[in-house]
Amino acid sequence: MTIIATGLSAARSGRIILHTTDVEIRRGERIGLVGASGSGKSTLGHALIDSLRAQGASVAHVPQSPDEALDPLRSMAFHWREAEQALGLALDPSRKQKLFAALRIEDGDLRKRPWGWSRGMQQRFVIAMALIGTPDLLVMDEPTSALDPVVAAGMMDLLDRYLSDRRTALLLITHDLGLAAARVLRLMVMAEGRIVEDAPTPDLLRVPRTEAARSLCAHRNWLALPC
Amino acid sequence: MLTVDGISVARGRTDVLRDISFTLAPGRTLAVVGESGAGKSTLIAAVLGLVALSKGDITWMNRPVRHCRPALVMQEPRSAFNPALTLHRSVMEPLRAGRLPGDPVRLTRLCDGLELLPDLLERRPSEVSIGQAQRIGILRALIATPPLVLFDEPLSALDAVTQKHTARLIADLQREEGFAALIVTHDLGYAAAYADEIAVLQAGQIAEMGPAQDFVTSPKTAYGLTLREAAFALGALEHVA
Repeated sequence: MTIIATGLSAARSGRIILHTTDVEIRRGERIGLVGASGSGKSTLGHALIDSLRAQGASVAHVPQSPDEALDPLRSMAFHWREAEQALGLALDPSRKQKLFAALRIEDGDLRKRPWGWSRGMQQRFVIAMALIGTPDLLVMDEPTSALDPVVAAGMMDLLDRYLSDRRTALLLITHDLGLAAARVLRLMVMAEGRIVEDAPTPDLLRVPRTEAARSLCAHRNWLALPC
Repeated sequence: MLTVDGISVARGRTDVLRDISFTLAPGRTLAVVGESGAGKSTLIAAVLGLVALSKGDITWMNRPVRHCRPALVMQEPRSAFNPALTLHRSVMEPLRAGRLPGDPVRLTRLCDGLELLPDLLERRPSEVSIGQAQRIGILRALIATPPLVLFDEPLSALDAVTQKHTARLIADLQREEGFAALIVTHDLGYAAAYADEIAVLQAGQIAEMGPAQDFVTSPKTAYGLTLREAAFALGALEHVA
């Protein structure tokens, strides 16, 4: 199944922050949406989620900040139960244990409210909630920004296996081309509210055609070492 | 020279730092890497004298560190400034605190080095981008010519392109000014690219320490190897044919 959203656009205070955009994502495809801060990546992600949900598609979303996903007045156990119930899933402790162990939050006290957990643990909890069901598309907005590298790498590896098993599509929104290039096969580059380049990852890395893509490519890692 | 000699820091009955020793010479950069909770920020606080040592001593040129007036660059640049003041007033605070004369030539030279237009300093923190705010934070840290500058995750709030650009500006200024830089970061790629030495902090102890290039090619501990592999997995470091 191919996911298609057309005519996505957004304006803020009379200024267009997302020019009319169409997005097509094939089943199981992994796409990186990359660009500098303020280029419109998260806005496109939100517009895409709204459009697809209106069409009845199942879309899981990991927002950039766990604050956007967690109610400070509710316990972590409440959030987990609510997510399972929203997806119509039976309570399954083994599912929770597996995800929590993989994301290294098994020691988290579910009786506590979000502010009783560290930011990194909150972010991993939100990622675990997104992995409960089998959505058509998983949208992750800067999923590693609150995590330290060892946990982030482990989470991305877990995600790889999860996506492969379920053929769930991924839209990875990030300013970090190095992260995206290591994880996805297709890259969309955003600048000033537009997708300015859309190409297979190796092609874009080899021959970036736009200034935005060239800048990202030139800064995609800290060091390149010989094999 | 900064000398950290066998320090420990206790919180309750737990040592959050244990038997930490290293030296850092002027003009050199030491990056301290490690996972969240390893004690990286506590180490910065210890060098600044903000937490009590349960053991050991920290000195700059054999005197207490406070005498050299070390500077700190914080992780979240906008919250590091008083929102009610212009950035110019905040930048000049270290000079006022030290009762030092302002030097317009130096201010202009630092602004040039950090690619900051002087009129930006007349704005308030909320009126500049996060990348500009961090460069102004570095300007404030350097304005009083400190011999020692501590950087606590200085790039983590910036996007990938701005991170690399800011790192280069810091390194260029360090070459001109000759300050010693102690950088705490969880980004091994940044540490490998810009530090002379890397110390890996794990559960409050230095697991390994050595030249940055040696660490990238052959970490000595299993944990160091894990950190390096994570940097490759996240694209911070890359293998090329």
